[in-house]
Amino acid sequence: MSSTQTDPYLADAVSGEPGSSRRRRDRYAYQNGAIVLGIAAVIVTALVGIQIGTSGATLGHVLGTFYAKITATPPTERAALQIQNIIWELRVPRIALAILGGAALAIAGTLFQGLLRNPLVSPYTLGIAPAAAFGASLAIVVFGATAGSANIPLVIGALLFSFLNTALVLSLASARNLNATTLILVGIALSQLFGALTACIQYFAQDEVLAAIVRWTWGSVNNSAWYQVLVMFALLALTLPYIRFRSGALNAIAFAGDDSAKSLGVAVSRVRLESIAIAATLTAVTIAFTGIIGFVGLVAPHIARLVVGPNHRFLITFSAIIGALLLVVSDAVGRLVISPGVIPVGIIDALVGAPIFLYLILTRQKAIE
Amino acid sequence: MTLAIDSLVVGYGKRTVVKGATLRIGKGELVGLLGSNGSGKSTLIKTIAGINRHSAGTITWDGTTDLAGLPRRELAKLVAYVPQSISLSFGLDIKEAVLLGRTPYFGTRPSERDWQHVEQAIRLLGLNELGDRAVTELSGGQGQRVLIARALAQNPKILLLDEPTSALDIRYQWQTLTIARQVTRKNDVAAVIAIHDLNQAARFCDRVIFLNDGEIIAEGRPADVYSPELIKTVYGVEVELSTHKGFVQIHPAADQDEPQRPVHLAAVHTSSVGESRLQAQG
Repeated sequence: MSSTQTDPYLADAVSGEPGSSRRRRDRYAYQNGAIVLGIAAVIVTALVGIQIGTSGATLGHVLGTFYAKITATPPTERAALQIQNIIWELRVPRIALAILGGAALAIAGTLFQGLLRNPLVSPYTLGIAPAAAFGASLAIVVFGATAGSANIPLVIGALLFSFLNTALVLSLASARNLNATTLILVGIALSQLFGALTACIQYFAQDEVLAAIVRWTWGSVNNSAWYQVLVMFALLALTLPYIRFRSGALNAIAFAGDDSAKSLGVAVSRVRLESIAIAATLTAVTIAFTGIIGFVGLVAPHIARLVVGPNHRFLITFSAIIGALLLVVSDAVGRLVISPGVIPVGIIDALVGAPIFLYLILTRQKAIE
Repeated sequence: MTLAIDSLVVGYGKRTVVKGATLRIGKGELVGLLGSNGSGKSTLIKTIAGINRHSAGTITWDGTTDLAGLPRRELAKLVAYVPQSISLSFGLDIKEAVLLGRTPYFGTRPSERDWQHVEQAIRLLGLNELGDRAVTELSGGQGQRVLIARALAQNPKILLLDEPTSALDIRYQWQTLTIARQVTRKNDVAAVIAIHDLNQAARFCDRVIFLNDGEIIAEGRPADVYSPELIKTVYGVEVELSTHKGFVQIHPAADQDEPQRPVHLAAVHTSSVGESRLQAQG
């Protein structure tokens, strides 16, 4: 059946403006090209990042390590084996967690900004970070945990309270059918509540416990472990297809508003609840492993919008790339400036990202608005 | 083909807003929905669009299709909704904003056919001259055209416009209403427009329906329905009717006119400071 038979509306339509489909193809090619270039940039910065340190690892060592692991042929020399162990057990999980964590926070930021229709929203707006900080603080007090991000009680404490916070927000959203503004206000209230609880713990804590809590809140990938990398990878692999599938619905909610999105055939409440659950889970798991890394979840979506535009079909993927790049570069800078000392990635992330963001705001104000 | 609404009841919590509305809208017909603020116009429109749920009554298309029973995406292929103003969060360009109208038709990637609909709607609304501008850079009237184009991209049989002229100056009000009437006829859709301006409703709508406190109290051609008594009942004001170029027009009643004009403004020159200022005169 021809289209004109079923669509009287198109009956007198010409097949499109001359050159318009070529312009569309060019735009898609640009957006896809930006994604491919971004992925290449992440790979290059990751390879450079793995080499940074006092062990004297070179690109040859890094590539040799990957080859040895793939072919299961460990080097026979003791020195080479030592460098390989440093690369595989310390550097690769560190960089991989920076990539995956940065991507997860950026995706979460993009989802929250779109779903709540507010460019000032970050993954922490709904109170997840203060809740995780309280859980981690409690774990440090109860189990005497160190601030190492791979410490299991600390991870569980942070995760537990992040999920508790998220469950509370989602239950309220579901039961009371809350709109975006009310959800943000609920998040602010919960942030204040968990912030006050953490402050109570800090006020009564001994000096070393207080120091451990503060160190955790700086956010770091210093003590990354392979299990964290695998969990993050699995989480992203499971959730990304869903987010991609929902990109049209996300566009409708973000750009048309709830009422119009419903009239465009989107099950707004369901999509919002499911997507917030995913964004909150990505955020909770990331900060349980790394501590609180701010800024990337706020700024990566904005930088990505400037490059590929606001369409979630491309924005989600490109935000993830920008988030990964920001954290890998920040981690590298943090290991270089006072080498052999390390400044936590959460601090450098804001120091590196803020000037870039300021530059973009001032030079491309229209696009940001 | 007809949009048929029978004994429709809609409420928010314990408050009933639409109380047993029954009406018919024909193909190619633009019907004005009139009534004071809070009379239930927007609620009725949003209920037909599937945004609100109704507690009783039926909404059917073509005598057979129960709109409430349709899956949301299928409903969106049949009914399009134009809100009061365009959302300005984030800067989608015009084409992408109109492409949102194709949301019910594609998964993650729009087809060439989806883009054909978008370009046709853009051309019909004269938006092609604005190029790839972001919606955040558009005037109110241009934004309203984008919203109507988005609705047309849905390829609807029923077009619902919820006070689309309320935030526009008179030029864009006329432009929007002219477009609404043209697309209704050209595309043979059944269209309902909530509107406050009775004179514009008389000029642009084929029929009007008056809602008062959630109930339909009058419907028909403007010239047949408008009366000082009806306007008094609905809006609580005294009016007089006249005819201009074949359209019924409403004016304030003469005896209401005088008390409402107590203040006249005149420019007075103040020589000591060398400036003009306005002074109220009783």
